Amino acid sequence: MLEMSLREPVLSPSLVQIKDYAAMTQPWTTPALFDALETHVSRERLPMKISLEPGSEPTIAISLPEHGDLAIHLAASGQQLFVSTPLCFGSQVRDRAAFNDACLRLNPVSPLSNIGLQSLDGEDVYMVFGEMSTRSPIANIVEEIGMLADNTLQAAHALQSFIQRA
Amino acid sequence: MSILSKILTLFRGAATEAGQSIVDQNAVRILDQEIRDAQNESIRAKDELARMMAQQKMSADKLQAKLDKKSEYEGHIQKLLGQGNQDLAREVATKVAQLESEIAGDQKDGASILTAVDKMRDALKAADRRIAGLQQQVDQVKVNESVLRSQSAIAARHSGQNAKLRTALDSLDRIKTRQAEQTAQIEAADQLAASEGDGDLEVRLAKAGMLPGSVSADDVLARYQTVSVTRQEPAQLPAPGSSAPAAVPASQSADKAG
Repeated sequence: MLEMSLREPVLSPSLVQIKDYAAMTQPWTTPALFDALETHVSRERLPMKISLEPGSEPTIAISLPEHGDLAIHLAASGQQLFVSTPLCFGSQVRDRAAFNDACLRLNPVSPLSNIGLQSLDGEDVYMVFGEMSTRSPIANIVEEIGMLADNTLQAAHALQSFIQRA
Repeated sequence: MSILSKILTLFRGAATEAGQSIVDQNAVRILDQEIRDAQNESIRAKDELARMMAQQKMSADKLQAKLDKKSEYEGHIQKLLGQGNQDLAREVATKVAQLESEIAGDQKDGASILTAVDKMRDALKAADRRIAGLQQQVDQVKVNESVLRSQSAIAARHSGQNAKLRTALDSLDRIKTRQAEQTAQIEAADQLAASEGDGDLEVRLAKAGMLPGSVSADDVLARYQTVSVTRQEPAQLPAPGSSAPAAVPASQSADKAG
C-alpha cells in the first residue's frame, strides 16, 4: 500500500482506482483519511463537501448537498472508524418511551446504521451512526457515508410523527 | 461495579447536570486509570504465571531425577541379588520404596500445578481481551464526544454562537423546501412552455386567426367586407382614373367632390 502510494504519480488511472478499493495494510488516522478522501472525492466528482476539524481528536466534517446538506462526521479511533450524524434532540421528542421503542424496532431494518443516544452539554441528542474497520478501503468508507445519509433521512422521515418541531 | 456500568452511571449523572459534557475529561481520566490498573494486574498475573511455570519445570526436573535414581537403584538390586548380597539389596529396596512414594506424591503435585497453569493462562487471555474491549470503548467515548463537539462547533460557525446542532430533521426540511421549489420551478416552466410553444393560448389565437399564416372563414369574410367599404368610397369620387395622388387629404377631395 505504501509502495502504491509512493508510486501514485506514475500509476495509470485504473491502478489508482484499484488502490481505492484495496484493503489497507495500515490503519487510517483521521488526518491521513482526510487527505485520501479529499483526493477521492475530487477524482470521482462526488457530491460531498469535506473539511478537517482540528482538535485533540480531529474529525472530518462532511456535508452532503444531495441529502439536504446533512452533516456527517467521521473519525478514526483505535481499530474503528466512527461515522455519525445527529438525528434529533431528545427534547424534540414527544413520547420518549414510544420513540425509543420505534428506534429499536427500526434498527434491525437498517442494520448497518445504528440509532443511539448521546449527551452534549446536558442535552440528549439521538445519533445515527455506523462503525467500520480502520483498515477499510476508501471506496467502502465513501459507500458507508452514503448509506448512513440514506438511512438517516429514512429514519428521520419514519420517526417524524414522534418529533415536535419548533 | 464493572467499568461498563460505571460508564452508564457517568452518562446518567452527566445528563442531569446542565452545562456539563457527557463524559467530562475527568471521568475519561478515571476510566483510563481503571484500565491501566487492570493492565497492571494482568501484568502481575503474567509474572505469577511465569513463576508457576518455572516451579512446574523445577518439580518436573526433580521428578525426573528421582525416576533416574529409582531405575539406577533397581539395577543395583538386580546385581546385588545376583551376587547374593541380600542385606544390601534389602537396604536399597527400602530406598526404592521410599522413592516410589515420593514420586507418586510429586506426580500428583505436578499435575495440579499444570492444571493451575492452564487455568491461569485462559484467565489471562480472557482478561486481556476484556481490557482491549474496554480500551476500545473508552476510545469510542472520547471520539463520540469530539465528534459531537465539532458538530456543534460547526453549527455555531454557520449560524451564530448559540446555534444548535444541525440534525437530520433540518436536512429533511431542506429537502422538502428544495423539492417544493423544484415543483414550483417545474410548474412555472410548464406554464412558460405552454405560453411559448403550442400551448392552449396559441391554439385559441390560431382559431381566432390572430397568428400569421392562419386564415379563418371569418377572416376572409371580414376582408371582403372591408374591400366593399373601400369601394364605396371611390364611387363617390369624381373619376376612378383621377390623377389626384392617393394621399390627397380628405378635405381636399371633399372640396373637389363639392
